[in-house]
Amino acid sequence: MMATVALAAMLAGAWLAASDRENDSRARLLPDRVMTLFPDPKPLTAFALTDHQNRVFDLSRLKGKWSLLFFGFTHCPDICPTTLAVLARARDHIAKSTGGAEDVQFVFISVDPNRDTASRLRQYVDYFDTTFLGVTGNDAQIGNLARQLGAAYQVAFTPGIENYPVYHTATVFLVDPRGRYHAIFTPPFDAETISRRFKVLRELEGG
Amino acid sequence: MRWRNPVFFGLLFTLTLIAAASEGPGISVRDAWVRETPPGMTMMAGYMALRNNTSRPQVLVAAGSSGFETVMIHRTIVKDGMAGMAHASQIELIPNASLIFAPGGYHLMLTNPKRTLRAGDRVDINLEFRGGLVLPVAFEVRK
Repeated sequence: MMATVALAAMLAGAWLAASDRENDSRARLLPDRVMTLFPDPKPLTAFALTDHQNRVFDLSRLKGKWSLLFFGFTHCPDICPTTLAVLARARDHIAKSTGGAEDVQFVFISVDPNRDTASRLRQYVDYFDTTFLGVTGNDAQIGNLARQLGAAYQVAFTPGIENYPVYHTATVFLVDPRGRYHAIFTPPFDAETISRRFKVLRELEGG
Repeated sequence: MRWRNPVFFGLLFTLTLIAAASEGPGISVRDAWVRETPPGMTMMAGYMALRNNTSRPQVLVAAGSSGFETVMIHRTIVKDGMAGMAHASQIELIPNASLIFAPGGYHLMLTNPKRTLRAGDRVDINLEFRGGLVLPVAFEVRK
C-alpha cells in the first residue's frame, strides 16, 4: 500500500515538473509570500484621477510603463511612510539593474482627498523619491480604480475630529505596460525581494 | 568636585552612552527611534524595544511628551483586508520578556510635533507605567 502511494506521488511529481517546464519559465514565479502573479492579467478600464502636479491621471498614464500602486493617506504615521521608504529603495535597486527604472513608475494613491491636496501630495511623495507620483480624486473616482484592483478603503471622516481613522489595503499593486492588472506584492515588504521579483517578471514579459 | 576627577568623567561618559536608551527599575528601553517624515506632516511614529526585566508583569498605560501635542499607543492591524490602527489603552509586558514596537506593528502615534524634527535630532518621550513609574526615553530621529 505504502509503496503504491509513494510511487503515485513520485509519478505525480514528475508529471508536474514536466508540465512546469512545458508551461514556460513563469513557473519560476510561483506564488509566494512576496508576489502573487495573475495567470490571466485583466485589462483595466477607464478611470480618472488627478496627480500631484494637477495633471489628469487616467488609464493612458498606466500604459507604456510598469506601475506599482499603493493606496494610503499622508496622515498615516506607520504603514504608508514605511512602505514608501521600501518602495524608494526598491526603485534604487531596479534603477541599478541593466533594465534601469525608466519604464517603471511608482504611484501613491491617496484615499483622503479631504486633507491630501495636490500640493500636500507633492511635498509627501517628493520626500521619498522625486520620481514618485501622488494621485487622488473624489470618492467615486478613487473607488473606480480601487474596485478594479480589488483594493478596499474606508475613511471614517467625522466633522470636528481632526485625526479621523482611515483604513486601506496595504498591498502593492502591479500593472503592466499594457495597462493590465498583473500581480500584487503583499506586506511585509522588503526592497531587495520586491525588486528581484519584479526584474525577473519584467524580463519574462519582454519589457 | 575637581574637574580632573576620574569619577566625574566616568559618570559623564556613562550618561552620554545612555542617550538613546533608558533604564528604570527593571524596565529597559533600547533602540528608541522616530521616523523622519516629509516636511509639514503632523503625524509621526515612534518605535522601540521594551524589556521587562522583573518577575512581575508591567503595564504601560500612557505616554507623553513636551515635543508633541499628544502621544498614543497604537498598533497597526489588518481588518477586512485593510490596514488600520487600533488604539491600545494599555499594554502588558510579561515578566522577563521584550515587546518590540516596530513598523507594521506597535508604535507610538505622535501628533503635531512642536518643532520640525530631522534625522539626527533627539526628542524625549515619557513612558508611564501602572504603579506610578514614569520612564523618560530619548528617541532618536532617523530617516
